[in-house]
Amino acid sequence: MKEHALDMNTPFAATLLDRRDLSADSALFRVAPEVSALQTLSRFIPGQFVQLSVPGGGEVPISPADLPGEDGTLELCVRRVGHVTELLHQTPAGASLGIRGPFGTGFPLEEMAGRPVLLLAGGLGIAPLRSLLMHLLRNQDRFGEITLMYGARQPKLMLFREELAALAAKGGMRLFLTVDFAPEEPAGSFSCAVGLLPELLKGFSFDAERTYAAVCGPPALYRCLTAELERAGVGAERILLSLERRMRCGIGRCCHCALGQKLCCLDGPVFRAGDLKQIPEAL
Amino acid sequence: MEKAFLKNTLLSEFLETLRLFGELHGPTVSDTGVAAFSPLDHTSDLRLDYQRTQIPPKKYLIPFREEILHYSEGNYWQNHPQVPEIILFGIHPCDLDGIAYLDRVFLGDRPDPCYADRRARLTLVGISCEPDDFCFCSGSREPAPFDLFLTAREEGYEVSVSSVKGETIADAAKDLLVLAPTAESSRRAGCSITAQDPQLRFSDNPLWEKFAATCVSCGACSVCCPTCYCFDVREYPALAGGGTRLREWDNCLFVTHGEVAGANFRVSRLDRLRYRFLHKYCGFTPLQGMTSCVGCGRCKKVCPVDIDLRELIESCRKPTPERP
Repeated sequence: MKEHALDMNTPFAATLLDRRDLSADSALFRVAPEVSALQTLSRFIPGQFVQLSVPGGGEVPISPADLPGEDGTLELCVRRVGHVTELLHQTPAGASLGIRGPFGTGFPLEEMAGRPVLLLAGGLGIAPLRSLLMHLLRNQDRFGEITLMYGARQPKLMLFREELAALAAKGGMRLFLTVDFAPEEPAGSFSCAVGLLPELLKGFSFDAERTYAAVCGPPALYRCLTAELERAGVGAERILLSLERRMRCGIGRCCHCALGQKLCCLDGPVFRAGDLKQIPEAL
Repeated sequence: MEKAFLKNTLLSEFLETLRLFGELHGPTVSDTGVAAFSPLDHTSDLRLDYQRTQIPPKKYLIPFREEILHYSEGNYWQNHPQVPEIILFGIHPCDLDGIAYLDRVFLGDRPDPCYADRRARLTLVGISCEPDDFCFCSGSREPAPFDLFLTAREEGYEVSVSSVKGETIADAAKDLLVLAPTAESSRRAGCSITAQDPQLRFSDNPLWEKFAATCVSCGACSVCCPTCYCFDVREYPALAGGGTRLREWDNCLFVTHGEVAGANFRVSRLDRLRYRFLHKYCGFTPLQGMTSCVGCGRCKKVCPVDIDLRELIESCRKPTPERP
């Protein structure tokens, strides 16, 4: 048994079960934490993050792509982009990893109950939002209408697209996909709109007075989507942004993730747009 | 009122008594002329006339590079540094304040095991000081928590005790101490620093542009700051398997500090300067609103382009000019 105080500092042991490639540089890794971690990890709220250790590489903050399974299995969608994630992509199934967390704030699920939820994901931003989406779909009776708008640069970079289409086909949510540009795809393949997310949002009519919006994507996306959502009538306190920073420690000490006087690892990574307005470097 | 008093002539013997409780460290001057806290192999190495050491005592609590974790065969465990008992003698009140702040950060609601280990083995013996042109502490505060504190008087030191550890040491040295009437403390005027209010005026101040135009992002101000503690984490695998995770001082003046995959949130020097001083004077969660500058003057002393923070602080104090 680990001492409780050490839980936040010392990773639990974990094993890489398998991986599923989602695009040329992104894959979904299923990770099984040691049994003693399950109680801690079961506190996960969609939007929170864990610190994933890859031995020999280091630690990276990752927001799980779904809630932990009953056996504690975590799904982590990771792009190969730095030395730790590169090493993870080379790690064979069965290898040892480490997990700390969950850390930070998640989406305010209690507050969102009964309300329509609009999820806006750009690129890899679908990963953190997928855990929220899965939670919403599993508890549909407790939320209003669920809409996902997902934009990627081009069709082959769209993650989970078959899976998302299958979920939408069941009738639980409205799904809008868009790509920045569409090179030729084989006939009969997946179809989606061409254009940027804010454009898609402009033509969308929804109950803005009651809707909660959850946004995650590349840095450039937040500003224009927040502006567009506010123009549509979504209050800044109901626009929830999941931000990316390089959390080194995850527990408010290393100071790499500060935005203004807030720390992404403690006050975020899910912020209300209204709370970020005075912070020039936030978005 | 009477208090324990240590005569100048007995200081050396007092230091020898301190040695009974651990390794004695204190202010010294190196061969190259740099003031530093280091082991006092010989009591004569002690330089009580020092103004400020280049590196503050934070190095005893957060070493520049430190092992925090080990891992092997899929298991991770905390490193517990093997540190001796250290008696750090001759710490000025500003540096005691710095340690008090670090205690809040590292021993607060999420205690750091490595820091806690080192802190538990560090005995703080403070000493009063005389400010120079670089100092800007208020000088009127009660010193931060210490074990023993020596206030310089004519012919010796008034000895204050504020911990069990301190009592034990004072007890062992009781033959060297006499009771003497306490003298009136002289309060010196200083440029005291308080949390900047309103904060917006702080962040929008035009002086930032002036500072950013000359700042070379060397990071010296942060290295020398008694309350700058931000760190980076690195991992070193061993060839035979397993490995070690280290943390080392990082510096928010460096351009890499605000990097994330594919972006950087503090690209300009102005962004980074403002970031550092927002942290320093206004605080981050969970110490928001708390000023961590202790007025030691190191940042101004070491700045190669003479950036003087007091300019900024003074300008923030002035009322905003009314718009015509």
